[in-house]
Amino acid sequence: MRVLLGWLLAVGLSLAAGAASAHPHVWITATSELLYAEDGSITGVRHAWTFDDMFSAYAVQGLESKTKGAYTREELGPLAQTNVESLKEYAYFTFAKADGKKERFNDPVDYYLDYKDTVLTLHFTLPLKNPVKSRQLVLEVFDRSFFIDFQMAKDNPVKLVGAPAGCQMKLDRPSDGSATAQKLNEQTFLDGPNANFGMMFANKITVECP
Amino acid sequence: MKPHLSPLGRGLLACAAILLVAGIADAALHDVLAQNPFGAPKQASQPEAGGLIGWLLAKQSEFYRQMSSTIRAAKSDGSALWTLLFISFAYGIFHAAGPGHGKAVIASYLVANRETARRGIALSFASALMQSLAAILIVGISAWILNATAKTMCKAEGAIEIASYALIALFGLRLVWVKGRTLLRALQVAQPVPALAGVPHDHHDHHGHHHHYHGHDPARTHHHHGHDHVHDEHCGHSHGPTPSELAGPGGWRRGFAAILTVGIRPCSGAILVLVFALAQGLFWAGIAATFLMGLGTAITVAVIAVIAVSAKDVAGRLSAGRDGGGALLMRGIELGAATLVLLFGAGLLFGYIAAERTTCF
Repeated sequence: MRVLLGWLLAVGLSLAAGAASAHPHVWITATSELLYAEDGSITGVRHAWTFDDMFSAYAVQGLESKTKGAYTREELGPLAQTNVESLKEYAYFTFAKADGKKERFNDPVDYYLDYKDTVLTLHFTLPLKNPVKSRQLVLEVFDRSFFIDFQMAKDNPVKLVGAPAGCQMKLDRPSDGSATAQKLNEQTFLDGPNANFGMMFANKITVECP
Repeated sequence: MKPHLSPLGRGLLACAAILLVAGIADAALHDVLAQNPFGAPKQASQPEAGGLIGWLLAKQSEFYRQMSSTIRAAKSDGSALWTLLFISFAYGIFHAAGPGHGKAVIASYLVANRETARRGIALSFASALMQSLAAILIVGISAWILNATAKTMCKAEGAIEIASYALIALFGLRLVWVKGRTLLRALQVAQPVPALAGVPHDHHDHHGHHHHYHGHDPARTHHHHGHDHVHDEHCGHSHGPTPSELAGPGGWRRGFAAILTVGIRPCSGAILVLVFALAQGLFWAGIAATFLMGLGTAITVAVIAVIAVSAKDVAGRLSAGRDGGGALLMRGIELGAATLVLLFGAGLLFGYIAAERTTCF
């Protein structure tokens, strides 16, 4: 019993200390394109992620460039390479479900970085392992541990490229006061340590095709 | 039997009361700080992230995101520097109220080791100061002097991160070892002599490791000025306790283990700010911001530390004088806290807890 109380106190303390939550240090403004093949199946996703200026400055620290304060695509090549390689561990923060079934992605292709107005933008294409034709596709972009805060761009956040006529796209943003955001309270944080914590901050793209 | 359950019940009650008070205090703080300090119009839609943590996250992001533009502004406008310092300080306060950063370690350590609130405050400030210095050293050496790339810096950060998690785990292991033995001894003593109820405050604590004293022993003061290692480089803003106050039972050196464990790992946020400031040619502004962040962090951690110590003192007082159970209860709490440090360290080390991720991509 006493040990139990000790534990209760300990748990209380750790909650008071907020041991189980995370917070972003990197902000990404994202635009995503859903790529369709001619037969109407989805072949992949093309992302353009713009980092905040603080992180951008950090990322280009120590990089060589011909012109001071400007970086060409070639000069940023090795960094882009590192980026996509590191992103693999986090599944590219991109999660797709076709008609409720999880889809996997191959390694990114056509990736590069550009540097404009002191911010970096990472472009890369994630091909689906198996192109899929589905009535409904749900694509979520988020960091499970909420170290990175993903926001879809204000203008044209999602584009359907070559989608069959009649496809409807819907975007649920994490912090627009929608139902998901309101569910975020202490209880959510108590449901297991970090349990899908970033889920609350997910950007959910839903495409319904006839 | 009611009297039998009583220590547990009272302890629980005390914890509940303390959490309630903390909650109310937080709510009050919320209302006070909800005013935008810069006179700018309040954001129309405060995202109803709900709850204290959501609000903390939102606030800290808000302050953090203002930092880069403020550093930029400071290049041409000296007064922006004051804004930067204020933002950094506020960020530190909110940041520390959030996750990780050894708050749990410090609080648990204090509870496990029967430390005083005063010492808790000193430890909080010292570890925050060390954290600031660690960040400045890392960026100063790698980025400023060696002009290393983010990739290299990140590797260094990663190595330090692992070392610090291992240190936390080791530290926890040692605490568990010491506290486990104490509990065992207390159990052995308490079991055969239940008749000792009349002897007040006799906890049969023969464990002489660090000459610990009981929480309800106000006659003890912790001012052995035997260790006067003034390693402290107060940045001129920190009017925290003097290093001599660290010299409680066991001395400064014992506290240093906690400070090192917590302070060796710099905050990713501070590193990003420093590198950004360096890129703007205002490294010193980054350094000032880092110290102010540390000061803010220290204040929050100190508050948490004091709450933790008080909670334990209340539990101790409520359970004192009961038939030996009180002493056992306290040893149990201490072991629990020690175990928490160990679990926390192991969790971080093996990636079950993501307190903070090194920016490596």
